[in-house]
Amino acid sequence: MTMPFARTLAAATVLLSGCVTQHPQNAEEFRKVAPGAFMIKVETHEINRSMREIGATFRKRAPECLNMRVTTTSQAPGSYQVIVSAYTPTVVVTDERAELHLQRHHEKGVLAVTKEPEGGYYLIVADAYPVDAKRSRLQIIGPSKGYDVIYRAIMGWATGKNLGCPDLTKTG
Amino acid sequence: MIRLLRVAVWLLGAALLAGCSGLKTYPDTSPKNLFVKTEASSGSAFARVRVAVHIHQVDANCRAEYLGTVQLNESSVQIGIPVDRLSFLEFSFFSSSFLGGSSGTIHYTTLLRPRAGHTYDASARYAEGIYHVVIRESDPRQRAGREIERRGLDECGRRG
Repeated sequence: MTMPFARTLAAATVLLSGCVTQHPQNAEEFRKVAPGAFMIKVETHEINRSMREIGATFRKRAPECLNMRVTTTSQAPGSYQVIVSAYTPTVVVTDERAELHLQRHHEKGVLAVTKEPEGGYYLIVADAYPVDAKRSRLQIIGPSKGYDVIYRAIMGWATGKNLGCPDLTKTG
Repeated sequence: MIRLLRVAVWLLGAALLAGCSGLKTYPDTSPKNLFVKTEASSGSAFARVRVAVHIHQVDANCRAEYLGTVQLNESSVQIGIPVDRLSFLEFSFFSSSFLGGSSGTIHYTTLLRPRAGHTYDASARYAEGIYHVVIRESDPRQRAGREIERRGLDECGRRG
């Protein structure tokens, strides 16, 4: 009786591990691998601000708004789940682009099934490229569902129209 | 008699909940110098957001001691924060959904050392998952105020 169960479990494990064998270990890998992956989207926007201005706003707002630990609870009949997530933003500004990387590490409530880079799995990578002296092209790569507040916050920072922080308890 | 019993049970439950939460009302005894304007909207009929500010006093060793909480249920609230002493303000936005049974609290924290004769205007806004807290210092003798830079508890050693 236990052998069929063990075989089923082993088969399921192999199948599941076949779905995702490795997560991107840095932002560049994320840019290459994520577009086209299941439940991932790429958004592109033209912004009427220079890449330098966008980078400066990312530098000011990302650490304040995204560098935090968040606890969320979900209750349903018969279940109670507590998830503790630590978010780590990184901002890199070069002559070519202004980058904002967001990583997330689950400290409680979710298991890491593949090798996790330092700081957590890459969740979102936003890059602002210069179009001309006053305009930029913003590309955001990230999950297609459940992270709308972060996308809206990044857009607000890029345009400079809303410097508010995303409520990270509203993600996932 | 049954009605009285119901009220007693409700009061007991409320008292127990208040005790369990660990929150206490801020003993608002200092002259009012912090004026908080609050706007909060969950953006959904099935969710709500509650805003509060938890006030801590910070000692010379940068240890924060919780003094109490002011619920920001009204659009405008006045609070007295001791002047020339470091306080740690923790604005919390608690959101809960009636349907999904999910809830979460997000915090905005900053150190504040109010100066005598100055007033502090804080704006705590939450709209559809985006929150923003801004504190401005004003000197009644001058027109222009200044925005208070956010400082974490780890920056408590820095004068300001």
